[in-house]
Amino acid sequence: MREGCVTLDLPADLLRAPLDAPGCWTPLGLTPVSAGFPSPAEDYADKRLDINDYLVRNPVSTFFFPVRGDSMQGAEIFDGDILVVDRSVRAQHGHVVVAFVNGERLVKRLHCRGGRLALLAENPAYPALEVVDGCELEIWGVVIGKFKRLPA
Amino acid sequence: MFALVDCNNFYASCEKLFDPKLAGRPLVVLSNNDGCVVARSAEAKALGVPMGVPWFKIQALAREHGIVARSSNYALYADMSNRVVEILSGFTPCMEVYSIDESFLDVRGFADRVAHGQLMRQRIAHWLGLPVCVGIAPTKTLAKLANHIAKKDPCFEGVCDLAQMAPEARASLFAAIEVGEVWGVGCRTAEQLARMNIHTVADLAHADPQAMRRCFSVVLERTVRELNGTACIALEEMAPPKQQIMASRSFGQWVEDLPTLKEAVAAYTSRAAEKLRQQGCVAGALTVMIRTNPFKPEAPQYQRSVTVPLTCPTDDTRVLVRIATRTLEGIFKAGFVYQKAGVMLSELTPPTARQASLFGDGEGEDARAGPLMATLDAINQRWGRGTVRSLAAGVTQPWQMRREQLSPAYTTSWDDLPVVHGG
Repeated sequence: MREGCVTLDLPADLLRAPLDAPGCWTPLGLTPVSAGFPSPAEDYADKRLDINDYLVRNPVSTFFFPVRGDSMQGAEIFDGDILVVDRSVRAQHGHVVVAFVNGERLVKRLHCRGGRLALLAENPAYPALEVVDGCELEIWGVVIGKFKRLPA
Repeated sequence: MFALVDCNNFYASCEKLFDPKLAGRPLVVLSNNDGCVVARSAEAKALGVPMGVPWFKIQALAREHGIVARSSNYALYADMSNRVVEILSGFTPCMEVYSIDESFLDVRGFADRVAHGQLMRQRIAHWLGLPVCVGIAPTKTLAKLANHIAKKDPCFEGVCDLAQMAPEARASLFAAIEVGEVWGVGCRTAEQLARMNIHTVADLAHADPQAMRRCFSVVLERTVRELNGTACIALEEMAPPKQQIMASRSFGQWVEDLPTLKEAVAAYTSRAAEKLRQQGCVAGALTVMIRTNPFKPEAPQYQRSVTVPLTCPTDDTRVLVRIATRTLEGIFKAGFVYQKAGVMLSELTPPTARQASLFGDGEGEDARAGPLMATLDAINQRWGRGTVRSLAAGVTQPWQMRREQLSPAYTTSWDDLPVVHGG
């Protein structure tokens, strides 16, 4: 017998066929052989959970921004958190947004009600930023989540 | 029917997107080693900064107007470019990514082409913050021209469809655009055409295609036919596999000694080999070239390039680096200040066509090289380019190109993410 190969036992009815059945050579280890019972979970196998599916809705328009400072504590956004910012979400009153204001990148709560346009902090120590004429404001994207690693 | 979607001032727009301090300021992006201006923001264009001008030549203007310069941040531009392509592929799968900032789309069967063009524009502006223009026409050459018109004339609101424009309107537009703006007509051709009294797009469209073929080439004949609405250039949805892979750069600082030059050549070879494996090919020949700075005629000049055929076509970085450095030793001459080196891999074939060599090293070595190279590529893809590299490519790499005004890799590196402040 050639090394690394094994002859298969051909079924009896094939051997009785009129053709001269050739010896069939198959390399060892080509297909996994499972002895014993098939896994009872086989039909129920699901994809392992991916944190991206949970945090990111639209990958193409999603960007990450780390936070510096404590002014958004009230919105449970803390120093060192990484924000998930989705540009494809339309910013509305009450959304937490990343905004470019007068040359700064900020994270604030958007307020636009009753003719007042302002960026609010979620910490009483910080004043609201009223958007008045002449103020350069760009709502960059809407914050839809956050994540952080812990030392361990 | 084609649509050409082209990002406006792409590199400059990417830089402005993440840096709020650049809002409203004139910005230029510089080429490798911070040499020349390769992209300009609208503000910089308005100041008359020409394309391609060396940065040192516009220092006075830059100081006077506060022009900001950035080094080319290819990691950022490539990521943003891929995002643009992803958004466009949501409109049609029939597209050709023509360059980092341009894509051709097949828009046959789109009911309202201008409305779709506007939707593409709005979506890319909204989702990515990048401005684009859309040119629509029955040929690629005309679509390019339509894009040019959409960019220059604000009344089109960024989308120009030449196919549904009245012939008289189109004619008057074509009569006002210089022939040099036509896709494939370079400076030299434009000068020659001017001597034949062909100055505008309209002039070229009315030229005799046969005569253009006789005087220039079949390419210009095709251009004339395309300008008249006959599509001669098809959409290339799959880029044909490259016949050569080139890795060459000017050095960040002049290099005089062989060991440093060897490092650079080894690094370029590694990069070229990585691209080779991405393409799933093996190389049958390797070229090494070195040269001094031709723009310093007072310094002693030397340049040399040698191609060596490979007995055993390969994609193994180790083998290629060994051959490249040995080849370099053969052409290196001391006493010159080198400014550039390059490595080219050619005679690319799929590995199946590999010819067994009479004098090869045997199969044992090859069998392990495949998995090793795959592992190398996987590590470098996961942990960043150059995480595992041939020691021949050096550790400190003083020859690396200069990028002193480089912005962070805002979207592709955890260490470079743009910080937002709460205060």
